[in-house]
Amino acid sequence: MPHAEPVAAVPTDAALIAAWQGGDEQAAAELVRRHARALARFLGGAGACDADADDLVQETFIRAFRAVAKFRGQCRFRTWLMTIGGNVLKDAQRRSRRARVVPLGDDLRATDGDPHEQAVAGEAEARLAAGLDRLPRMQRDVFLLRAQQGLGYEEIAAALGTTPGAARVHYHHAVKRLKEHLA
Amino acid sequence: MTDDELEKLAQRLGARAAERLDVERTAEAVVTRLRRQPPVPARSWVGQGPWLKIAAAALLVVSVTVVARTPWRARPPVAAAVVPLGEDLSGLTAAELREAITALDQPLTDESGGLDTGLEGLSSDELRALLRSLEG
Repeated sequence: MPHAEPVAAVPTDAALIAAWQGGDEQAAAELVRRHARALARFLGGAGACDADADDLVQETFIRAFRAVAKFRGQCRFRTWLMTIGGNVLKDAQRRSRRARVVPLGDDLRATDGDPHEQAVAGEAEARLAAGLDRLPRMQRDVFLLRAQQGLGYEEIAAALGTTPGAARVHYHHAVKRLKEHLA
Repeated sequence: MTDDELEKLAQRLGARAAERLDVERTAEAVVTRLRRQPPVPARSWVGQGPWLKIAAAALLVVSVTVVARTPWRARPPVAAAVVPLGEDLSGLTAAELREAITALDQPLTDESGGLDTGLEGLSSDELRALLRSLEG
């Protein structure tokens, strides 16, 4: 019985993408394993409910693998995934029209520690999430890619189809508005 | 709130969703869906939805209607044929000349159908008579 060989010891994303394009399903699975959590964090920051995260992550990967021929390596695969995830989330929100709710009680149950501190932290996150929800999408995405994912302006600009200078301006506008919202 | 505090707060967003995600199960689900749902070939623009079909049909109907209602404008050969022939119209008054020109600008009718064929063969008297007939 033939045994499937591993793609490589530590294959790059590009190698896995090429392997997937050649029909290797395990290459696709490995890409999911690598990037799913980061994508879920991004989607959570962008307004996805925790309960929807798994579905949104799956849908994002499906769309990405379907359109992988369009990925030219202009940015990292993970960053490209997040731009697709933003579109998936937008579509889902349009369909459901559900407002993002951060259940405070869930925060209290989910973690250990001082309940008061947890409640304060949960409230701050909820307010930030509400502030992000009010931002134009470009500002929100730039802010999350920069502040949450730690990406540079060059990378962000390449992923979002803008210039590094414009990305920097979007970031500063987002920070200013979020601080006003949180004040 | 400082920029650093804002960034730290942003980094906590979505952390719970990421922690709860069963990555292995998600990977299996994605692979299964990819296997079950092969890529859909790109559809032509006609297949993109009912609105495109409706718009295309409406555009077609409007175009056909406009073309059907547009009067066929044949180039009036009369003016081109007659002007060089006006060798002696000095006897006509200004009003008569105006009427003649106006008449020549009218589309050809069955009665004057012979004008576009062989005006060169008419003499100046015949042409003058023809102009007068057009006046009348």
